[in-house]
Amino acid sequence: MVSAANLALVVVTLGGIYILMGLGLTIVYGITKVFNFAQGSFFLWGGYIAWTLLDATNLSYGAVFVITAGIMFLFGMGYEKAFIRPLRRFEEWGWTAIIVTLGSALLLDNLTLLIWGPRGKTLDVLVDGVLRYGSISFAIHDALIVILSMSIAMFLIFFFQKTKIGKAMRAVAQDATGGNIVGIPSDRMYSYAFGITAMLGGIAGMLLAPRTQIYYYVGWPVLVKALVVVVFGGLGSIKGTLVAAFILAAIEVSVTNQLEAIWALPIFMVVLLIVLAIRPKGLFGEW
Amino acid sequence: MVNRLRDRFSGQSIFFITSIGIIALLPLGFTDERTTMHLLILSLVWSVVASSWNLIMGYARILSFGQIAFFAIGGYGAAMLSLNWGVSPWLSMLAGGFLSCGIGLGIGLICLRLRGIYVGIVTFALHLVMPTIMTAGRAWGTGGSWGLTNIPLPMIGGLAFSKLDLIPWYYVAFGFFVGFLYLIYKIINSRTGLAFMALRDSETFAKTLGINEYRFSVIVFGISSLITGVMGGFYAHYMRLISPTIFNLDYFLLALIMVMLGGLGKFPGGIIGAYIITFLNHYLVAYEAGRLVIMGAIVVSVMIAFPNGIMGIFEYIKRYRTRKSYIERLRLNK
Repeated sequence: MVSAANLALVVVTLGGIYILMGLGLTIVYGITKVFNFAQGSFFLWGGYIAWTLLDATNLSYGAVFVITAGIMFLFGMGYEKAFIRPLRRFEEWGWTAIIVTLGSALLLDNLTLLIWGPRGKTLDVLVDGVLRYGSISFAIHDALIVILSMSIAMFLIFFFQKTKIGKAMRAVAQDATGGNIVGIPSDRMYSYAFGITAMLGGIAGMLLAPRTQIYYYVGWPVLVKALVVVVFGGLGSIKGTLVAAFILAAIEVSVTNQLEAIWALPIFMVVLLIVLAIRPKGLFGEW
Repeated sequence: MVNRLRDRFSGQSIFFITSIGIIALLPLGFTDERTTMHLLILSLVWSVVASSWNLIMGYARILSFGQIAFFAIGGYGAAMLSLNWGVSPWLSMLAGGFLSCGIGLGIGLICLRLRGIYVGIVTFALHLVMPTIMTAGRAWGTGGSWGLTNIPLPMIGGLAFSKLDLIPWYYVAFGFFVGFLYLIYKIINSRTGLAFMALRDSETFAKTLGINEYRFSVIVFGISSLITGVMGGFYAHYMRLISPTIFNLDYFLLALIMVMLGGLGKFPGGIIGAYIITFLNHYLVAYEAGRLVIMGAIVVSVMIAFPNGIMGIFEYIKRYRTRKSYIERLRLNK
């Protein structure tokens, strides 16, 4: 029997992963109004790039982590330039963009199948070892997940509230034309938004890879959970995502503890429907 | 008189009638080629699915990604009824359709009050959750991760359909095809279709006139899941196998490409898309993973280059020609 304290730690760790994935979705939606179904692929590519770097070079793990995050940022910017920007010349580009994110997700997923083959890859834990306190044990890697995700979330809140680029991005989100008039390059802001998203997805991929293998289909189950987190918290709200991630992680852990693990996804679906029926804008959402 | 005849048999309807005639006669050319026949049957099935998806996304402007989920719900419903309770396949296809219609209405009632991306999120989540439910639901007779096999074959007057002779299958599929496409066509040109057109052109004005968007959306959502569910039932009985692999995103994406390639909100587009993609997909199977990369690339490039699909190209040509003839007429008058 797992003690309550251990369960709480699992909840916190899971919440950390959901925060990273959810923030990616919510930021891109908040800034560009595109719902990015390719987030799961960013997750996947982050894991694969880190694996390749570790395999091919003898850089230290920490360095690989930082480099991969950087690569993923550029990857996201490139993604926006290649797939989303050409669509913006059409009138109803919001819809086409959503469908393109779906199509490109399949493109990117199966590209990994072509490049790295169908066998799952696994990464080592970032730092080995376990923290112990009496009967409670907590892997350092999990602690790192929590610390990293919380500090990234804090940093992003600071970034969007205080820094010039963050403010510019929010301005573009409110009114792209207005932003252009006062001299904010809206295209570049959209690219940054996708860059940040891809980076968050990649980091989540790297952090989760030691726990689940990385293979071409792994992004989708994570994406569904992130979808529910984001809707629960309110699309576009960072604060909401933080709270919802932990609530849903708690729900998932208690479900897995009581029933089989396989029921977690159906329960998420039920939660999603209940949220939309009762409070469709989510916990902290604005219309 | 001639004018009236010309009105009734305008170029478009002549085109429709001849294409339906060609589709009806197609199997005569391929009686020996089982693969081609199989692909032709699949094309009919996917034409209906793509057209009903088009009805939802293109006309009703509901961003729905649940079409394959409804297809599979219909398929599973039909298979489970006829396997576990010995229901006749014809009835079970219909029952599968009504099951998927019921689930579609349930989801629609909750999420269609919201617009845009929320519906997309719910329906896509439904799609991604379905394989887990079907795997976990072994106790209810879903067959777990292996799915259901040996689904009974339908019978007509004591004669069972067989997988050796595909011609009867083709004509059953053709019957569904004609019936459902006529239904979709009627809906598009009915009060409901007009209501959606009004909503698309000027939402506020249409609502002021008293058009209840929610009600129409739920109705169309239900009809489309019914149609898709029946086709799912037919597909399950025809393939004699349904398993959670139907939820693999490649089916989803294939159907989505059919809609997009044909042209969103362009009625016969889904049919053209279905035929092209079904055959293309078959010939690309040899490339395995590369096939889906190519398919993904097609979606992306079609959306970027021709957001209105093939029908959009036709319309462009037509507009270009009418403009040209208009200019010529002006010249003659001068």
